[in-house]
Amino acid sequence: MITGERKPISEIKEMIAPYRKVLVVGCGSCVAECAAGGEKEVGLLSSALRMDAKAAGKELEVREMTLDRQCVYEFIDQLTDVVDQYDIVLSLACGAGVQAVAEVFPKVHIVPALNTTFLGETKEAGLWIENCRGCGDCKLGFFAAVCPVTRCAKGLFNGPCGGSRTDRCEVDPDVPCAWQLIVSRLEATGRLDLLRKVHPPADWSKQQGKGPRKIIREDQRT
Amino acid sequence: MDKKGSGSTSALFFCRQLDPNQDVNRRLLEKELGKRIRFFPLPCSGRIDALHLLRALEAGADKVYVVTCPEGACHYREGNIRAKKRIAYAQSLIEEIGLERERLELIITPPGKRLTIDELARELLAREDKGVKA
Repeated sequence: MITGERKPISEIKEMIAPYRKVLVVGCGSCVAECAAGGEKEVGLLSSALRMDAKAAGKELEVREMTLDRQCVYEFIDQLTDVVDQYDIVLSLACGAGVQAVAEVFPKVHIVPALNTTFLGETKEAGLWIENCRGCGDCKLGFFAAVCPVTRCAKGLFNGPCGGSRTDRCEVDPDVPCAWQLIVSRLEATGRLDLLRKVHPPADWSKQQGKGPRKIIREDQRT
Repeated sequence: MDKKGSGSTSALFFCRQLDPNQDVNRRLLEKELGKRIRFFPLPCSGRIDALHLLRALEAGADKVYVVTCPEGACHYREGNIRAKKRIAYAQSLIEEIGLERERLELIITPPGKRLTIDELARELLAREDKGVKA
């Protein structure tokens, strides 16, 4: 999923300062899972903004809405009869959601309330970790489903750096050495022979070499 | 002082395990004090969420309490520990908008002392009034 964190309220206030009617829109997918942009967080931010405005003697109307997804037109369309009633949309979606809404409503002012951070996993309650860089050339099949691009601080493809201490990464002792995990999993699943393969450097053109990427599936298109 | 006339309002979220007669006790005090206090019984203090606290402030509460069982005595093992974390989060949020973190307060009841919820509320309100007078 895509993770995000709320921006400081001071930054959000600065963005909405010129406006009096604010539509706060959450997203019920990824950013809800990471407790940053779901219905509850929309409520928290909206309450905080209303109280702040009241304390400052400022007139501010804040309406709360949460879409199931802010990155898919069918859900964004729920805003069609609503956005025109507001001066600005404060989106708690990831960057993709913010831009998708902006594209559907070209004349609407829309600003992000979150900093989109990484593709990650809910490791445990209240803990999200980055484990995918979206590099466009997934090699998890060779590395026992542990991504060395993301989880090795040095992004090494052909074995450990040798700097780890008791299975911890030398760059950050809080993080397990990705290569220790790779070797342990390969050993546990009887696939150590995969380590014989020498991998060439990653082809980063598949990630960011040609500007923004897109996926086209003709069978899915109308 | 008029019982209902202190001017400030308080919201009190509490674990209903604390007082077996909480339903009667809190209603009597609400009737006596009017808008001075509103009670919100919870199945466990761990059910509290930062959103409840902000909504209470937004609705006009000057002070919001969350009352938990004594440490180590939660009926659901660690609900009161969770309540503590949620209050801390809500406090950081209200500080961002310039409100004092003391507007939200965690009250951990002392072990071994059986209090009814109305008695506890009276103590808290008396402390508030004393603070105002001082």
